[in-house]
Amino acid sequence: MVELNAHTVVFAIFSIITLGGAVGVVWNRNLVSSSYWLIFSLFGVAGLFVLLSAPFLAAVQVLVYIGAVGILITFSVMLTRGMTQIKDVFNRQSAASGVVAVLLFVVLLVGVVLPVWGPSGALSSAPASDVVATTAELGVALVDGSQYVLPFELVSLLLTAALLGAIVIARDQDK
Amino acid sequence: MVPLWMFLLVAAALFCIGTFAVLSRRNAIAILMGVELMLNAVNINLVAFWRYGTPETMMGQAFTAFVMVVAAAEAAVGLAIIIAVYRSRKSVVVEEVDLMRG
Amino acid sequence: MGEFDLLSSLPAIAPEIGLTILIFVAVLLDSFLHESQRKGIAYVAALGMAALAIVPIIPGWAPEPGPTGDYLFWGGMIRHDALAQIFRIMVLASGALTCLMAVDAKRVGNKGEFYTIVLVATLGASLLSASADLIMVFVALETLSIALYCLAAFKRNDSKSTESGMKYFLFGAFSSAIMLYGFSLLYGFTGQTNLYALAQFMGTEAFANNAVPVLAAMVMVIVGFGFKISAVPFHFWTPDVYEGAPTPVTAFLSVASKAASFAVMMRFFIAVFPNDLVIGDYVIQNFWVQFMAAAAVISMTLGNVIALSQKNIKRLLAYSSIAQAGYVLMGVAALQATTPLGAERAVASVGFYLFMYTFSNLLAFAVIILFSEATGSETIADLAGLNRRSPWLALTLTIALLSLAGVPPAAGFFGKFYLFTAAVEADLVWLAMIGVLNAIVGLYYYLVVIKVMYVDRSEDEDKPIPTSQTYRWVLGVATLAVIILGTVGAQVIFEWAVQGAGTLFALLPGVF
Repeated sequence: MVELNAHTVVFAIFSIITLGGAVGVVWNRNLVSSSYWLIFSLFGVAGLFVLLSAPFLAAVQVLVYIGAVGILITFSVMLTRGMTQIKDVFNRQSAASGVVAVLLFVVLLVGVVLPVWGPSGALSSAPASDVVATTAELGVALVDGSQYVLPFELVSLLLTAALLGAIVIARDQDK
Repeated sequence: MVPLWMFLLVAAALFCIGTFAVLSRRNAIAILMGVELMLNAVNINLVAFWRYGTPETMMGQAFTAFVMVVAAAEAAVGLAIIIAVYRSRKSVVVEEVDLMRG
Repeated sequence: MGEFDLLSSLPAIAPEIGLTILIFVAVLLDSFLHESQRKGIAYVAALGMAALAIVPIIPGWAPEPGPTGDYLFWGGMIRHDALAQIFRIMVLASGALTCLMAVDAKRVGNKGEFYTIVLVATLGASLLSASADLIMVFVALETLSIALYCLAAFKRNDSKSTESGMKYFLFGAFSSAIMLYGFSLLYGFTGQTNLYALAQFMGTEAFANNAVPVLAAMVMVIVGFGFKISAVPFHFWTPDVYEGAPTPVTAFLSVASKAASFAVMMRFFIAVFPNDLVIGDYVIQNFWVQFMAAAAVISMTLGNVIALSQKNIKRLLAYSSIAQAGYVLMGVAALQATTPLGAERAVASVGFYLFMYTFSNLLAFAVIILFSEATGSETIADLAGLNRRSPWLALTLTIALLSLAGVPPAAGFFGKFYLFTAAVEADLVWLAMIGVLNAIVGLYYYLVVIKVMYVDRSEDEDKPIPTSQTYRWVLGVATLAVIILGTVGAQVIFEWAVQGAGTLFALLPGVF
């Protein structure tokens, strides 16, 4: 079913990094270490992108997610010091949340993964074709009027608003 | 290549771990980290579906790129709000930040 | 998709182009004007948005099918049809009124950034009502939501406002992530991101093989929308966010974000789940009708019952808005009516209801802003004697509340009438009955507020509430809209919406 080759081994390594990092985020008492685990996990996702022949997205993942979001979160953890070592990490409904998460996983397993896995799934386990759109084509698509230029422009306005909003809200008290 | 279902399995597991973090953690920043994990699960899904389903189009990749940009903006705004809350309350534990009831 | 033709594509995003220009103007004015003059930005933004809201009404501006024969533009990202037009007018009007309402609000009105972010939120909502592609839906929805997170937390020194922002942000980000996971599954199992291409896929053999994951994805998408329209059981954020956010923001998010989310939700249902979809022996349609009807019943009932015990007027309106979302969901359930005409009338009734709800709710919030800016109080008991303090204000709030309750001659009566009729036409008589019962419960708590204003006495009766010129305009325009929609305008607007709904179903594969 699954052959053991270099590809599979690399996949296994990156999956373990991704999921292990995620578990580290959830279970760590100290938020500073949590944020390091998060960066670790995001790095694993970048590895998976490379495996999926999306090197550009892997680079963006490292630059934007690890470089910007990860560091931003680490900074915020530092700025809200005193919150990093609270005694009770989990709230009262943590047991119920665990049940919900496990149930969700079972639903996804049965509802999503199994149909693909099984022989009746419309999606075969092999890629539909080996012709993969390149990064250059992605670049063109983002500014092409008959493809994604509209969301692309909208995102630029969204970033402007987010920038303005973040500055207004996080700025120091009024004089 | 590794079959598609294995990627979907990793994504589903990551999504559920993220959900658990959001539902169970008390610290707002930890909840935000959970949301980031969920969004990454979405991205794995999108790229995997793209690679195995429609690799000659741009849909999946473009979608992923948009998710990343929006997630960055969301994190910036969210952390700004959390810091503003911390400044006025000296706490970002979600249950303690509760002036309004009724 | 064919060759891209810029000139024929531009009219499809005319309001958005206008909004973008307004955003740049607002940023520039913000940096050049002195702090005391920044209120001027509000007038520029409001007038601009009001002008843009009128554009779609001009004859000859009606949506034309694009070069490809359907109404899809910009690579299928948006569908420029009458539904989009109607919801854009709502969103732009609420944006304009919100800017004017914010002018005198303390620590909000003199900040240029506030108006810039309101403009961006309006832009997001406007594009959301036209979106026809999962990618576009996602980006537009997030533009609206992220801008609203900023606005809710805008009074950064007010701990209630930041708390409201944080709650809104955490719930919003979580629900977006769930919805996005649903989007990724929809894309994965259909290979399409365009809603109308998805619709075509639903008719094929391939769908029957993948029904389970696609339905799972749809449930996740509905959870996401449920949060945005604050339907029970995804409503818990609503009261706290409504109470804590600066009141103009509450007004805006109670109408614009809800209206745009309903628009895209209807698009989903019409496009992705056509009437004749059958798997095995089971008509998928019935599943959604029952799902929506159940959500409608719970939202109406719970919202109305909890509203009965509220002391704070903003919380009362929060629960009332949950109930209102329930009424509208009734119309969404009726979308699956058996006759084409019935479905069109259902779309039109949802459109009309949200149209009148926009103005009624904004009107109510406008009075509350004035009242709380003058007295610093938001409790219902403190409204006592408002009739003697400022008879006009009391009358305006009465009209708004009667409209929300559904009493003629205010607009709400026709809104509810059309919705209930649509439900009956879709063979959902029991649903319409529950709706009527709920309207009666709702009437009670609205009447209590009116009673407090007119009958109860207070010591401050000799202190009128100061009302600025700007506010008189806001109140006047909104009251006029509510009255017109409730009398002579009702039939006209409704017929227009019915005609518009016709284009919604046009060119859909396998529908009617």
